[in-house]
Amino acid sequence: MKKPELLSPAGDLERLKIALTYGADAVYLGGTLFNLRANANNLTKEELKEGVEFAHNLNKKVYVTVNIAMHNKELNKIKQYLIELDKIGVDAIIITDPAIIPIAKKYTNLNLHLSTQTSTLNKEAIEFWKSQGIERVVLARECSKEDILDIKKSIDIELEVFIHGAMCASYSGRCVLSNFLTGRDANRGGCSQICRWDFDLYDGEEHLEGEKPFTFCTKDLSMAKYLKDLIETGADSFKIEGRMRSAYYIATIVRTYRKMIDEYFENKETYEYNPKYEQVLRRVANRDNIPQFFDGNYSKDVQYYNGRQETTNQDFLAQVLEYDENTKIAKLEQRNYFKKGDKVEIFGPKDEYTFTITEIYDEDMNPIDIVRHPKQIIYIKLPFKVAKDYMMKIC
Amino acid sequence: MSKILSIINDLDEANQISNLTDGYIVPLKDLSMNYHHYFNINQIKEMKKLNKEIFVSINKNIHNNMLDKLKETLEEIDKLDINGIIFYDISIINLKKKLNLKTPLVWAQEHLSTNYGTVNFWYDNGANFAYLSSEITKREIMEIKENSKAKLMINIFGYIPMFTSKRHLVKNYTETFNINEKENKKTIRKEGKKYIIEDEESGTTVYSEYILNATEEDFKDIDYLVFNSNFIKTDDFKQVLLDYKENKPNKYPKKLGFLFEDTIYKVK
Repeated sequence: MKKPELLSPAGDLERLKIALTYGADAVYLGGTLFNLRANANNLTKEELKEGVEFAHNLNKKVYVTVNIAMHNKELNKIKQYLIELDKIGVDAIIITDPAIIPIAKKYTNLNLHLSTQTSTLNKEAIEFWKSQGIERVVLARECSKEDILDIKKSIDIELEVFIHGAMCASYSGRCVLSNFLTGRDANRGGCSQICRWDFDLYDGEEHLEGEKPFTFCTKDLSMAKYLKDLIETGADSFKIEGRMRSAYYIATIVRTYRKMIDEYFENKETYEYNPKYEQVLRRVANRDNIPQFFDGNYSKDVQYYNGRQETTNQDFLAQVLEYDENTKIAKLEQRNYFKKGDKVEIFGPKDEYTFTITEIYDEDMNPIDIVRHPKQIIYIKLPFKVAKDYMMKIC
Repeated sequence: MSKILSIINDLDEANQISNLTDGYIVPLKDLSMNYHHYFNINQIKEMKKLNKEIFVSINKNIHNNMLDKLKETLEEIDKLDINGIIFYDISIINLKKKLNLKTPLVWAQEHLSTNYGTVNFWYDNGANFAYLSSEITKREIMEIKENSKAKLMINIFGYIPMFTSKRHLVKNYTETFNINEKENKKTIRKEGKKYIIEDEESGTTVYSEYILNATEEDFKDIDYLVFNSNFIKTDDFKQVLLDYKENKPNKYPKKLGFLFEDTIYKVK
């Protein structure tokens, strides 16, 4: 059985490097045009070139989302954009709109992946897409284990499945709440996430009022508990959602799934789900998570009724910028408040260390007790070796 | 001259408006969604007797375990000699070829039917008709007409589905908080606006706050204009069709949706 690809989001160049350094086999990201996260940082042409070079040097891949539902005026610009992506050497583009297929085939050598935005759920649809030259289908998030198994068994095509992150409450592509309620086009990257809003639910003229307001909001997806089952479906690529998420989130999620996948392949017979990983994953999230439709146990518990009152996570304390092996002093950039005496953990792609902070210095190497300013540069003496992009968090 | 297609509530309504419409869109029970009423094959056969054009809607997202039923149904419908099958799921394009179905197809991926390039893609792959999105402008609709060979359908009257989910959002809420619900029409409300929400066996649909009412707009050359009577009384719907035939405004407020309002997608 082939080891599945671990595919991470990359909202910008920094997160691309973090994701690949922390164990992702590939990243997906948006360029400046035609992608469904129009308000994310996204990557310029130059950044994309650098990102592709960085990935290819590690023998890893970069996929670019070109996944909006185009309007007429966009048809005139798409050819040039695809040619640019091809020249940069991206490994595939992820499309929703099939108008792109004949253009990409005629003018480029780009590999084509079909976005989950098409809500592809069955083998007949996939057979059609394969006949059109699609190399990989990102399955709809409503697929069950049996669906994936049957599709994989029936058609020789790469399948990509989501393993972690936020879910659309609708079938992907079948929601324009954002268009109607805010004038922002959901299928062209402007989704204003109306599914997270609170509403009042009425039965005729009677207000159906629960302890919390009505919302469309769903819990997030986590496949940690079912990872073995998912690997055994033969799905080719495991995708993490979240191009708007932080570098710390990406590092933690990628690293955790990397460990789980590798542990399974180290010894398939004895592999057991380790709940400690679930705890790590939950700790960086701000909503509950469940396996959603995979296990067929769909129930009322898929919903999330806390609206936007989501927990702000302040676990992430600082990111390592440099480490001097001679002095054993690390230069860090602050993310959240911490102080001398705090027990913390520093982790990298494959290792982690727990220690109590005994010495902190400011930029001029004056001793300080507390680090309270965002992005403050500080120095800490460490009893172990770290490297750039290691993360420090609350223990 | 555009033809009128009506989405109807029942067979009686179909009879009552038969001299005001050129045809019907008939949502097929168990295989369609985003409608208030559904029809079985026998009812479609009944409707055929009215000698109008008939387009059967099979617009559900098709899960893998529904394929056998879908194949069987498509073969049955193919014998009815109707004017077209309105589809969302791409399995239907594949099955048309495999099963050698003669019934024309109408590509109707709701919010994704937004440009002539994609209309032409589906035309080349066996869909002779395209049912366009309600979230594009009139100018874009006309450009699609100029640049494609497919026959086009557009919505010009009725509530518009905005959200379709496999999840049972009303049921999930009432079960979570132990609320007794009755059989009334459900709405969700926010900032003084009401939206119809229907929680059916196959999932949940939420509709636009307003009735799209673009009957006074000139859509010459668009092949089919769709009037939807769901959630509207038959007498009122009949009057809307009558007013349209007589080139008169109807009693509903003029609501043009996105026909003259381009949506934005990047906020600076």
